[in-house]
Amino acid sequence: MIKIENLEKVYKTEEIETTALNGINLHVKAGEFVSIMGPSGCGKSTLLNVMGLLDKPESGSYKFIDTELLTLNDKERSNFRKRNMGFVFQNFNLIDELTVFENIELPLIYNKVPAGERKKLVNEIIGRMNIVNRSGHFPQQLSGGQQQRVAVARALVTKPKLVLADEPTGNLDSTHGNEVMELLCELNETGTTIVMVTHSSHDASFSNRIINLKDGHVISEKINKGKTEELI
Amino acid sequence: MFKLNLKIALRNLWKNKTSSFINVIGLAIGLAACLMLLLYVSYEWNFDKQAKNSDNVYMAMTNVPGEGNKVAHTFNGSTTALGPLLKQNLPEAKYVTRMDYGKKSLIANGQNSFKKDSKFAEPDILKMYDYQFIAGDPKTALTNPLSVILTESTAKILFGTTDVLNKSVRYQDQENLNITGVIKDLPENSSNRFDFLMPWSFYEIVDASAKDLNWNNYSFVTMVSLNPDANIDLVNRKVEALVKANTPQNAQSQPHFLYQASKLHLFGKFENGKNIGGDIEQIYLFMGLAFGILLIACINFMNMATAKSEKRAKEVGIKKTIGANRSSLIFQFLTESMVLTLVAIIVAIALLEICLPSFNKLLNINLGITYFNAVSWIGILGIVLATGLIAGSYPAFYLSSFNPIQTLKRKISSSGFLKISLRQVLVVGQFCFAIILIISTLVIYRQIQYIKNKPVGFDVNALVEIPQEGELKTKFDLFKTEMLKSGAVTSMYQSSVSLSHRGRNFMDMKWDGMTKPENTVMFNQVATSYDFIKTNGIKLLQGRDFSKSFASDTSAVMVSASAVKVFGYKDPIGRNVMVFGSKAHIVGVFDDYVWDSPYKSNNPQIVYLTSGQTGTITMRLNAANSIQSNIETIAKISKAFNPAYPTEITFINSLYQEKYKAEKTLGILSNLFGGLAIFVSCLGLFGLVTYSAEQRTKEFGVRKVLGASLLNLMQLLSLSFIKMIVVSIVIAVPLSYYLMNKWLMNFEFRTEISWWIIPVAGFGTLLMALITVSLQAYKSAKANPVDALKYE
Repeated sequence: MIKIENLEKVYKTEEIETTALNGINLHVKAGEFVSIMGPSGCGKSTLLNVMGLLDKPESGSYKFIDTELLTLNDKERSNFRKRNMGFVFQNFNLIDELTVFENIELPLIYNKVPAGERKKLVNEIIGRMNIVNRSGHFPQQLSGGQQQRVAVARALVTKPKLVLADEPTGNLDSTHGNEVMELLCELNETGTTIVMVTHSSHDASFSNRIINLKDGHVISEKINKGKTEELI
Repeated sequence: MFKLNLKIALRNLWKNKTSSFINVIGLAIGLAACLMLLLYVSYEWNFDKQAKNSDNVYMAMTNVPGEGNKVAHTFNGSTTALGPLLKQNLPEAKYVTRMDYGKKSLIANGQNSFKKDSKFAEPDILKMYDYQFIAGDPKTALTNPLSVILTESTAKILFGTTDVLNKSVRYQDQENLNITGVIKDLPENSSNRFDFLMPWSFYEIVDASAKDLNWNNYSFVTMVSLNPDANIDLVNRKVEALVKANTPQNAQSQPHFLYQASKLHLFGKFENGKNIGGDIEQIYLFMGLAFGILLIACINFMNMATAKSEKRAKEVGIKKTIGANRSSLIFQFLTESMVLTLVAIIVAIALLEICLPSFNKLLNINLGITYFNAVSWIGILGIVLATGLIAGSYPAFYLSSFNPIQTLKRKISSSGFLKISLRQVLVVGQFCFAIILIISTLVIYRQIQYIKNKPVGFDVNALVEIPQEGELKTKFDLFKTEMLKSGAVTSMYQSSVSLSHRGRNFMDMKWDGMTKPENTVMFNQVATSYDFIKTNGIKLLQGRDFSKSFASDTSAVMVSASAVKVFGYKDPIGRNVMVFGSKAHIVGVFDDYVWDSPYKSNNPQIVYLTSGQTGTITMRLNAANSIQSNIETIAKISKAFNPAYPTEITFINSLYQEKYKAEKTLGILSNLFGGLAIFVSCLGLFGLVTYSAEQRTKEFGVRKVLGASLLNLMQLLSLSFIKMIVVSIVIAVPLSYYLMNKWLMNFEFRTEISWWIIPVAGFGTLLMALITVSLQAYKSAKANPVDALKYE
């Protein structure tokens, strides 16, 4: 589904030039669950941002089911993103002024889904995420695990083809972290493609394939056999 | 989407109560001030514009020739002959009416008599103005000389009802008039107001000299309604030619022209016969003030919104990642500012309703919001939209421009050089405006004080006057004897005009050694009786007051010091001048005193002795008695002479107070709105400091743990703001100095801008800003460092 070739990204400040991505090649098949690992500053978040169309690389190619995405303008990128991608962040990034229900509803509004259908879709996913009794609450009234479940719900409500997760368990204790990882696995099992950046090899063990980055290069790729076999 | 944006806006308002309060109150004050001044401006702007065809109604103006082919003076008086001439010979003239300036006259219903504003006019006036008749026929109402039209409230005062057609009222205790019409009360912002209107044909009975079509007496008003398609320049050329052809031409002949009557109120200042503005300048000033205060409030909003940007940045980032585009975010932030403005306008209207009565009382007018008028709602809506847009546009464009990756990682910082400096520029701009207002207020106050403290030339407090009417016209000598006998007054005189008066100018003067064949200098004339100087106490420079011991005094004059200067007489006493063609000798020279505008030097004055010209009786109160008992005695005696007339005793000092009215209004308004501007600016500053302190809570905690003192921290927080105020002072001081010097140039008598005004304004503003900033700085510097460090 995703074909990334020769991706280069350089950050320039006044004194220093940092190469974040240095000729990355990466293919992700539909239905795969890929983890990206590596030390701090290896470029994994940059790669995720480029994949999420939040950042622009200097050169290379990024094809999403045969559509070249790097040539799109801002508006087209925004449209493509809202139709095909969902995001889960380390710090949840919920809007404090909106309730759980309204937070989850927001992407549907941007996708111009009619009100009746919005309600149906949001209620459906709230049920699935086991946060029904929280739907009228504001983010600050929830625990971290609950907040991340809301964030996942928000990422999924538009039924995206690709979910991008940036350290989804980074701000959670292990129990809540495991809950979120299980949620992502369930999601993956229903056919959603997931790309996750993580520090934790425990989290990575939930995925089919682990890619290791260092200094903007892919240094190794490992098929998670146990997981794959389990799948088979 | 809109609903959701509205929700976010309202929840944000609720959550950030301090900033919402500052924004709402600031904007409400700004909007209330703006609405109030706009009400005032629209009141002034609509002056004399009530008639349907007010654009076609013109006033005959007269140019008074001066030195060297220039026009010395332009005024709206005209002669009795001009009206008929225009009516017969000017094809564009649809209606022409002559009228008097109007005065207070006695009107009685048989039992009680009242002093009311009267006016005489030709019947065409009813076609020129669309008066709303409650009763009577406008076509015939002024046909019969002995008829009168009452306004609704006059009819109610006289008879308790408006059903008064064909009843009779008595005018000036002389003549019975038949009521032929009742009209609705006239609007306050009209210069042609009256309580009852009588036909010109009746005036020709009251004052027989008005029947004679002369070109000498400019005591009347001529109004002309032109056809809508008339070209005013062409008409004015015709008027000039007509007048030239029909009057003897000499150096004193006064050319006429027509001027739009509705423009006279705001564009009434003429120089060399050409309009050079007028009170419209004040209107511009007030509009500037109104929008200035509103702008200050808008800047507060912008500053607070961008200062809060760190908080909002996350929201922008999230929305952008899940699909919002920039325009939808701009729309959201504009919605927020609109919501805020809407809340503010409700508070503003409430504020306005609370303040309007005292504002009206202060300015002696009657303003009010007309809630059932579409135009006023469209106006209010327009102001709300404009305010919301101005206040919201910069934050909307600024906030929506954030890059989602940076905002989500909380990397956004206010370190952007340009953003910071724009906020600083706005704060500096605000305070510049505030400082300019403070300095202007002080200078205006000083100028008013200067004029007030300038001696008028006699003691205004010891004198009272009463109108000379009814029996007092013929029995003045008897009245004088009785008054003096009663001991209430020590001396008194009658004169053609009050001590405080305008006009009564003439040029028919000749003196020895005149270089020109005709005089072109305007003189002012006062006809009086004995004891003129003795009563009013004007300083006699040479010679003496009129005296009964000199029979020849009937042909004597007293002249002002400036008149002597015009004559060029070295030793004026005993010298002769020709006044209105008859010879008169000078017996006294008195010092110039203020009788018209206190802001400029008045014309030279000639005072002559005659018993024929009555008008006003001026009296010097006996200081040995209490004022109250003196007044009671005067009232009792004059009532005995004039039972039909109500007694009207006027203190001369109140007449002189009136002269300061225009500048007093300016002073009140600039004080009031200057104060508001400073308050709203400080409110904004307070908000900014609060946010800056909130952002630096952690930094302060760390510094405190490391040993920073309270003073250190306060300095840290206050210094950057104080710097901005200092910059504002540096910019605003020379600017306001220049502007106020220009304003002072309008006055012939003017004060200097005292040196102390500048440090007072500067330190005053600095002090207020310092107090505002320190309050918040102290609070956050005093906070427990542990709390600060826990905060995240």
